[in-house]
Amino acid sequence: MEFLVWLEQTDFSVWLRESDWGHPIVLCFHAVGMGMVVGISLMYSARILGYAKDFPVSAFDWLFGLAWFGFAMNTVSGVLLFVGEPRRLMDTPAFWIKMILIVFAGLTLWVLGKALDAGPREVVRLAGSGGISSGEVIVSPNARVAAILSAVFWLGAIISGRLIGYTIAPPPL
Amino acid sequence: MTEGEVLHWIKELPLGAAVRESRWLFAMGETLHFIGLSLMVGGLLIVDLRLLGFIRSVPMRAALAFLPFVIVGFLINLATGIEFFVTDPFMYWPNPAFKLKLTLIMLAGLNAVVFMVLDHRHKLALTKDTGAYVKVAAGLSLSLWLCVLLLGRLLPAFEGSTSFF
Repeated sequence: MEFLVWLEQTDFSVWLRESDWGHPIVLCFHAVGMGMVVGISLMYSARILGYAKDFPVSAFDWLFGLAWFGFAMNTVSGVLLFVGEPRRLMDTPAFWIKMILIVFAGLTLWVLGKALDAGPREVVRLAGSGGISSGEVIVSPNARVAAILSAVFWLGAIISGRLIGYTIAPPPL
Repeated sequence: MTEGEVLHWIKELPLGAAVRESRWLFAMGETLHFIGLSLMVGGLLIVDLRLLGFIRSVPMRAALAFLPFVIVGFLINLATGIEFFVTDPFMYWPNPAFKLKLTLIMLAGLNAVVFMVLDHRHKLALTKDTGAYVKVAAGLSLSLWLCVLLLGRLLPAFEGSTSFF
């Protein structure tokens, strides 16, 4: 708590909180990063669940690079948002729920991406014993569960993230 | 009717009153607006980047198959956007970020409509590469929607001002 009080009194924290542009600009990056990581994750889930079957699953290897770029952008902008109002966020259950969901969503994305990195054979393994038939990957139940979980974690993170804005800030120091 | 009277009439609509009185409707709208945003960005990245010549291992038709996500995301955001506007039209209407955002949405829509009218989807389904027009349209689409997103996020910062400068 002492650390949070100190952090909140640093010039940088005050600037993030009170300047005209600090907070809005950080939020801009946070929204763009969200679109990239959540957007691509949702499209991947749709593909795994059977949408656009002639879209090669391996092409997501490259798209995951963009998704991780968005994830990194949101880690940095998220840390800045935390520095701006650490005491309020620490006191907000929605913030903790969001952090837990982000960790799970990130892990799911990592597992799904790892399977792609390992090459086509691994994708087929993830995809199940059906293998590739006429360019179409037969998706295993495990991959379907991962795809659904990924979407649930990200949507949960968006909901809890939005709710953070609806909690009352502690009195200023 | 004057501009003020129109805005006043909009503000008195039952939808606006319901959202203002409810504790959760506005927050739910915002959450849906973010989900719609994510669907749009995800779909647009796949479609526009493929049109620009990235991820060439993907057949053009398979990439264009992700367009419905963009359209659904847009409809979610149009509906929730209207919800926000009727809640407080006097805040949104004079806001320069709101006006520019609306203009850019119309330009992005026009860009998409021209693309469809020229029937590029059907022609493209058969090709591996795209011409200069399609690349420009895809680049425009990505840049315009990025600006729309940023202006939406910056909208509250311009609350109360009537011009950018």
